[in-house]
Amino acid sequence: MSEIAVFFLHGLAYAGLLFLVSSGLTLVFGMMNVLNFAHASFYMLGAYFALSLLHITGNFWLALIISPLLLMALGMVIERFLLRKVHVLGHVHELLLTFGIAYILHEGVKWIWGTSPQAMAVTGILADTVSLMGITYPVYRLFIFAVSVILGLLMALVLFKTRIGITVRAAVDDSAMVGALGINVPRLFMGVFAVGAALSGLAGVTAGPLLSVFPGMAESILIDAFVVIVVGGMGSLGGAVLASFIIGQLQSFGVILFPEFSLALIYMLMALVLVVKPEGLFGEKQ
Amino acid sequence: MMPKTKPAYLWAWPLGLALLAALPWILPPYQLRLVTEATIFSLYAVSYNLLLGYAGLLSFGHAMFFGVGAFAAAVVINSMEGVPLFLALAMATALTTLAGLVVGLLLLRVKGTPFALLTLAFNALFYAIAVKWHTVTGGDDGLTVFPSVVNFGLLSLDPGKGPDMYYLTVLVIGLAVAFCCYFTRTAMGQSVLLIRENEERMRFLGYNTNVARLMLFIITGALAGLAGSFYAIFNSFVSLDAISIEMTTKVLLMTFIGGTASFAGPIVGAFFYTYVQDFLSDLTDNWPLIMGTLFILMVLFAPGGLSGLVKSLAARLPGAKDKGSDRDD
Repeated sequence: MSEIAVFFLHGLAYAGLLFLVSSGLTLVFGMMNVLNFAHASFYMLGAYFALSLLHITGNFWLALIISPLLLMALGMVIERFLLRKVHVLGHVHELLLTFGIAYILHEGVKWIWGTSPQAMAVTGILADTVSLMGITYPVYRLFIFAVSVILGLLMALVLFKTRIGITVRAAVDDSAMVGALGINVPRLFMGVFAVGAALSGLAGVTAGPLLSVFPGMAESILIDAFVVIVVGGMGSLGGAVLASFIIGQLQSFGVILFPEFSLALIYMLMALVLVVKPEGLFGEKQ
Repeated sequence: MMPKTKPAYLWAWPLGLALLAALPWILPPYQLRLVTEATIFSLYAVSYNLLLGYAGLLSFGHAMFFGVGAFAAAVVINSMEGVPLFLALAMATALTTLAGLVVGLLLLRVKGTPFALLTLAFNALFYAIAVKWHTVTGGDDGLTVFPSVVNFGLLSLDPGKGPDMYYLTVLVIGLAVAFCCYFTRTAMGQSVLLIRENEERMRFLGYNTNVARLMLFIITGALAGLAGSFYAIFNSFVSLDAISIEMTTKVLLMTFIGGTASFAGPIVGAFFYTYVQDFLSDLTDNWPLIMGTLFILMVLFAPGGLSGLVKSLAARLPGAKDKGSDRDD
């Protein structure tokens, strides 16, 4: 019984990370129909920035705040000076551009920080364990889940209770109409893109101490985030929540139940969704 | 489409063929290896461009077929003692065709961005399978391949020797590329082009667009598999690299740098990439960074790739007639 609880909690922690990465991805896709292949690279960069900040300052909390801010700035620059330029050339070029950015960031990270995995250590209360319903559990995984829940709630609050949120949701539905109503859609898009980058970077910072920091980390979470938005439905935040939860648990339990085929489980789920409901659980029909 | 060969250029054919045949005597062995490698990648890039340039299907998973072809050829050659090379190639291509059918049936249910996303996901799946299934693929160690000598009666070619491998490659890959060129002019190739332009109208005219798209996906997959088989034989070795996302990135860069709007673009790109990589990797270990930057610059400022640049330059030269009229689609 207690083992099941442990793996359930493991799954929750990973689901939290996945949600932080995929929520930005799905919102950006919903608004501008751009699938950002570089989104997971922001996650990787977040972790590497935090690693360097940790070396310099020795303070994890500082890294947790500064690293996402750096990524927000990077996201703005990429959107404003690269993505917006190719928007007129159409879809294929946008995808190619983000793919190229992901490639460059991947190679750049290898150049600056090297290829070997690096450990990121947390200290104090985060390195502790707690006793929870009779099992001892590391605080850090709970911390990851808590961070994602808090940010998820914050995001929901902004999206559903503020004027900006209404505009963003309207733009996800029909950005041309929102633009026609006199709202600066490109600027709104830049904001969403940058916030998405920051969230992804934050996920990277929190993932660092858990999974260690290495150049392949972008690729591995990118595929999972893609599965999340395919299963949840592209452009749906609720879908991202549900799909992150399902895939987090599948990852976690898959490893103990079918160690050789844990990856196959996720693809089987995706294939099933594609066959039964190609637009995803919460997606709209194309 | 490509402009029709003008009669004035007819003399160029025998001259070109003679040059191809004489190349092993002209070039030093290392240079000949580069040409052979670039030729193999030409087929890989041309097959990719049939998807991207002609059908408008952006795939991020072409290496899954390249890799299946490479591993299948290696496994067939290794497990069947003395199997004729062409039989091994045929079996590998058949297997890739099957893989294309299964993957295509699933992936082509969606279009546009979701399709691009899923191709990448399936490439990752194929890679993961290759890593896990080490009894067949050799896992991280890879497989060594020693194909048998090809006998044409009077002439026999040994794939282990540089010049012989060059001739084999130019012969088979050349024919495959010629087939691609021919394919773009057939009714089927043209219908794929028209589906990209206006799918609804093509449906209305009675074409089954889904079947046409699936056929193209399978054919391009099989051709990439053939290129992969040659890659394995050329290196006498196949590693996980052949089925990795890096290999997909490679074909993407080659095709796009060369230009997607013309048939020859990807061939130009394959040669350009191979030579520039060879040049840069001597200077710095970070050559992918330079290649990636070049790619981004191309996307931003020269969406037509190298062949597009050449064309727009040619159109500006004094005396250039009917500019733009031979723009390829």
